[in-house]
Amino acid sequence: MASGTPVEAELVQAELVQARGLTKRYGDRTALDGASFAVREGEIFGILGPNGAGKTTAVECVAGLRRPDSGEVRVLGRDPRRGGRELRERVGVQLQQAKLPDAIKVGEALRLYASFYRRPRDWRELLDDLGLADHVGARFGRLSGGQKQRVNVALALVGDPRLAILDELTTGLDPHARRETWDAVARIRDRGVTVILVSHFMDEVERLCDRLAVFDRGRVVAVDTPAGLIDRVDAAYRLSFRPMDGTFSDGPLRDLAGVARVEREGGRVVVTGRGRFADEVTAALARRRLLVADLRIEPRTLDGAFVALTGNGGTGRDGNGTDRMGGDR
Amino acid sequence: MRALAIVETKLLLRQPAWLFTVVIPLFVLAVFGLTAGGGTDPGGGDAHGGAPATPAGDSRSLTGLAAMSVAIGIALVAFYQVPTTLASYREQGILRRLATTPVRPAALLAVQLVLQVGLAVVAGALIVASARLGVGVPLPRDPLAFAAAFVLGVAALFGVGLLIAALAPNGRAANGVGVLLYFPCAFLAGLMLPVAGMPPAVAAAGRFTPLGAFREALLAAWAGGRTDPLPLVIMAAWAIALAAAAARYFRWE
Repeated sequence: MASGTPVEAELVQAELVQARGLTKRYGDRTALDGASFAVREGEIFGILGPNGAGKTTAVECVAGLRRPDSGEVRVLGRDPRRGGRELRERVGVQLQQAKLPDAIKVGEALRLYASFYRRPRDWRELLDDLGLADHVGARFGRLSGGQKQRVNVALALVGDPRLAILDELTTGLDPHARRETWDAVARIRDRGVTVILVSHFMDEVERLCDRLAVFDRGRVVAVDTPAGLIDRVDAAYRLSFRPMDGTFSDGPLRDLAGVARVEREGGRVVVTGRGRFADEVTAALARRRLLVADLRIEPRTLDGAFVALTGNGGTGRDGNGTDRMGGDR
Repeated sequence: MRALAIVETKLLLRQPAWLFTVVIPLFVLAVFGLTAGGGTDPGGGDAHGGAPATPAGDSRSLTGLAAMSVAIGIALVAFYQVPTTLASYREQGILRRLATTPVRPAALLAVQLVLQVGLAVVAGALIVASARLGVGVPLPRDPLAFAAAFVLGVAALFGVGLLIAALAPNGRAANGVGVLLYFPCAFLAGLMLPVAGMPPAVAAAGRFTPLGAFREALLAAWAGGRTDPLPLVIMAAWAIALAAAAARYFRWE
């Protein structure tokens, strides 16, 4: 049905998940306050936000584990609460802090969960993909944190789903284990599985996600690509250099568009500004034929955008789900 | 479902906890049985052959000891194994994880219940066989009444375990509650010392507890004679009430 240019084809890309106006309250606490987002086929869709922003509740609604108080969720065109077995065959879920009995062996767990599905993936091949082939006979309780997490990912994928939901995948993992897990997620997408990735780590989202929704206090405050979000938020950043000529004057730089401040730090000139000021500064230097050394432009990161969108700088390591509470399923 | 049953059985056998539910009652049976009677049963034997020092229906007889041992074994399964396993499955998110697969989490609960009942039957059979072969207590005289007592007793005691599992916030708490509840229940039921040696008021109250009724019904069926329906009725009532409460308060997460 897609015709014409690739751009048009992208516009009509199928949406596997549609969530509109989700609200959910637990007692007097509002977990979701009108959250809307859509996940396109084949992408890694990030759900980013501070603790308590409603991320987990949102994906629990998508997974059919919770019923929103109001609003509508469609997953593969169905209501996840009524989708029944058909939907659970095609949606794999890795829950935050879900464990297995310590005594179960990796191979046993995979074979068992594979038996739940009509058309499972070859679980040995899956363990191979996730770098767990050497641990088939190991008990779950003896695995490292990163290995356990990859077993969790494997269990979410063993049914060969079209959509995989991965919640707080790398919370509590060391940097090496995080990188291993990231590689595993990227390979999942390369197999054509659509992924929803819940995270409160900027670097994780920036590296893995094609698009992301930023959650704050139960609402979606922005949906965009990581680069788009960085561009959209006009955060100040810094450019610095060392002038070759000792008589360098700061004055002309101050008048350039976007420049906020020009300061000296030791022998360096530090220019702070917004928007495309860095281009203006380098062009001005070139026009005046001023030679500079060691020119540095600080990369703009998602952190700045995130802080601007949510007014929250807290991206600490505490991931034990303050946005999860008990309640009836 | 079959795959689930196989894996759960392996997991049960892999953890040493189940051994205690068999070893502890056998230990009680061996220590008291071999020291007290020196291998002869004053209450059992070939019955009407001679005038036994202690009638088989008395709680102090070797038959009484055997009934105590069976009650201890089943109570250990029901008070420790059942609640600890189920509560920790919920705590670890295993039930929640299953809820996202094509298999329903209720299937896991069903498999676990069947498995634990199986463990109770194995423990009971081992104790009856050991009582016969090791201590010389004859097999239950009234097998039908014994089976009825066993079924109702398992139902009532599992009711206790399921209620603990429903109310306990996690596996460790379930285990603790099971321990705390086991000792007073075992005392009231005459499992710590024979009912005949207990204060009459305490012994009378103990008859109405699930475990006390269980021991009494087992002993009556073992010794033979007329079946008193009261303990069976008491156990049935407990089973229904406890199961209803457990179902009412059970949480999947």
